[in-house]
Amino acid sequence: MINIHQPVHHDRYSRIRKQFSILLSIMVLLSLASIFIVPLYWMVTGSFKYQKVTMDVPPEFFPANPTLENWQNLFFGPWPIWNWLVNSIIVSLLTVVIVLLISSLTGYSFGKKKFPGSEILFFILLSTMFLPSQVMLIPLFLLVRTFQLTNSMVGVYLAMALPMLASPFGIFLVKQYCSTIPDELIDAARIDGASEWKIYYQIMLPLLKPALAALAIFTFSNSWNNFMWQLVIAGDKLQYTLPVGVSYIARTPAYGRSVIDIGLTMAGGTFGAIFMIVFFIAFQKYFIEGVTFGAVKG
Amino acid sequence: MVNSKSFLKEVWKGRWGYLFITPGYLAFIVFMLAPLVLAISLSFTNATINLSARVNVGFDQYVRLFNDPIFIKALGNTVKYVLVVVPTTVIIALLIAFLIHPLGMKPQSFFRGAFYLPGVAGGVIISIVWLWIFNPTYGLFNYLLGLVGIEPILWLADSRFSFWAVCLVVLTFTLGQPIILFLAGLAGISQDIIDAAVVDGANSRQLKWHVILPLLRPVLLFIVATQTIGVFQIWETIFMLTQGGPSNSSNSLVFLIYQTAFIAGKYGKASAIGVILLIIVMCITLIQLRFWSRE
Repeated sequence: MINIHQPVHHDRYSRIRKQFSILLSIMVLLSLASIFIVPLYWMVTGSFKYQKVTMDVPPEFFPANPTLENWQNLFFGPWPIWNWLVNSIIVSLLTVVIVLLISSLTGYSFGKKKFPGSEILFFILLSTMFLPSQVMLIPLFLLVRTFQLTNSMVGVYLAMALPMLASPFGIFLVKQYCSTIPDELIDAARIDGASEWKIYYQIMLPLLKPALAALAIFTFSNSWNNFMWQLVIAGDKLQYTLPVGVSYIARTPAYGRSVIDIGLTMAGGTFGAIFMIVFFIAFQKYFIEGVTFGAVKG
Repeated sequence: MVNSKSFLKEVWKGRWGYLFITPGYLAFIVFMLAPLVLAISLSFTNATINLSARVNVGFDQYVRLFNDPIFIKALGNTVKYVLVVVPTTVIIALLIAFLIHPLGMKPQSFFRGAFYLPGVAGGVIISIVWLWIFNPTYGLFNYLLGLVGIEPILWLADSRFSFWAVCLVVLTFTLGQPIILFLAGLAGISQDIIDAAVVDGANSRQLKWHVILPLLRPVLLFIVATQTIGVFQIWETIFMLTQGGPSNSSNSLVFLIYQTAFIAGKYGKASAIGVILLIIVMCITLIQLRFWSRE
C-alpha cells in the first residue's frame, strides 16, 4: 500500500531536516579542511616567528611578537633565491611552450587525419602514458652528462625540460578533444583552398584553446614540481630551481648556526608555495579540467 | 602488385598526417622510448660512474637484487605504502565528496580548493613543514598528542613510526585529486535515477550503497589505478623527512633508485630496480584495463 498523502505531509519536515544536514556537513567539512590547511598556516605564521619562538613549548599558535627577520635573511642572505625563482619560471615556461606545440600538432594529426599505421603508432604512445618516469631518468641523466649540457645556463634549462618533452598525455588529451570538433569545419576550409598549416593554426588552434589551456596548467605545475630530476641535474647553487633551493635551505644550517633555522625555512617554504597557490586560485577552472580529464570521459 | 600500389597511394594521401606527428613522435622516441630501451639494457650491466668500464652481468643483477635485504625491504615497504595510503585516500575522499556534493556552487568550489591546496603547494614544501611539526621536543604534533596524554614519539627517528609518519604526510597532499574526481563523477549522475530510487522507497544509506556507488564505479577504478601508480612512485616525502631511514624502515623503490643511481652511482643496479618497478606498474595498468573493458 502506497500512501499518496505522505510526500505532502513529509515536505516541510524534510526541508528543515535537509537544511540541518547541510549545516552539519559544512561544520564537519570545515574541521576536516582545517587539518589540511593547518600545515600551510603553520608555515606562513612560522615565517614571522623568531628562531627562539619556533622552538617554544607549548607552541605559539599566533605570532604575538612577529618579526620580518626571516624574510630579510631569505632575501638578503647568502642564497640566490631570485635566481631560483627565475630558473623555475624559465624551465616551466619552456616546457609548456614545447609541450603545447608538439601535443597540438601531433594530437590534431592523430585525431583528424587518416594515414596508414596511425592506430598502431597512437597505441604505442598511449601504452607508455602510465610508465614510471624514474626509469627513464638514468639514461637521460647519462645523456646530459655526456653532452655536458649543464656547463651553461641555457643547457641547464634545456636539460631540466627534457624528460617532460615526450608528452603522451598531452597528445592523448588533444586527440580526444579533437573528436568534439566537427570535420565539416576542416573540410570547408580545405574547399576554400586553405593550406594544411593554415588549417592547423587558424582553425584548429583556436578551437583547441580550452584543451590547451588545461594542458598548459597541468604541464606547468608538473614541471614546477619535477623535483628529482631538477635535483640531480643542478650542479651548483645558481642552477637550483625554487623547490630544490628551498629543500636545500631546509636541510642546511646557516649563519654559523649548528641547527636549522626553522623561521627561515618556513619563509623559504612560503615563498616556494606562494606562486603555485596564486596560480591555482587564478586558474582553478583549468586545474580541475586537467584533473578530471580522462576519468569522466575516458 | 595493385595492393602495394594502393597502399603507397594511401601513404601519400596521409603525408600531412605523418608530417604533423613527426615532432611529437620524435620527442617521444628520443626522450621516452630510447631511454626506456637503454635503461633495460643497462640493467643487465654493472655500469657505474665510469660508464665505459661496464661489463655484462646478465640476469645475475636481478638474482642479486632479490637476495639484497635492502631491496626486499624497499619493495615490501612500497607495497605497504600502497596498501595503507590508497584505501585510506579513496575512503576519506569519497566521504568528503559525499559531504561536499549537496552544497551550493560557492561552498563546493571553496572546499574543493581547500582540499586541493596542499597538493598545489607540492610535496616538497608540505614535507618541510612536517619536518618541524614532527620535531620530538618542540613539534606541534607531539604537543597535541601530549594534550591527550601520549608520550613524545620520535616520529622520524624511530623505525616503528617513520613509515607511518611518511604515510600521514603523503595523505595530506594526495587527497585533493580524488575528491575532485569523485565530485565530477557525482555531478554526472542524473537526478532522474536518484528520484526513481527515492520513489521506490530507498533510504539515504541504500541510495548511497546500491545506487550511487555502483554508478561511481568507473571513476572509483580510475582513482584506485592512478593513486596506486602514484603511490608506487613516492619518494620526495621520504627524501625530505627520513632519507629512507632509520635502517630503511621507510625506504621505497623510487627512493632506492635515487640513492643507488644518483648517490652511489650504481647505474646498472638502479636501472634493474627501475625495470622491476616498471613491470609492477605495467601489470597494474593491464589489470586496470581489463576491469575497464568489462564496463
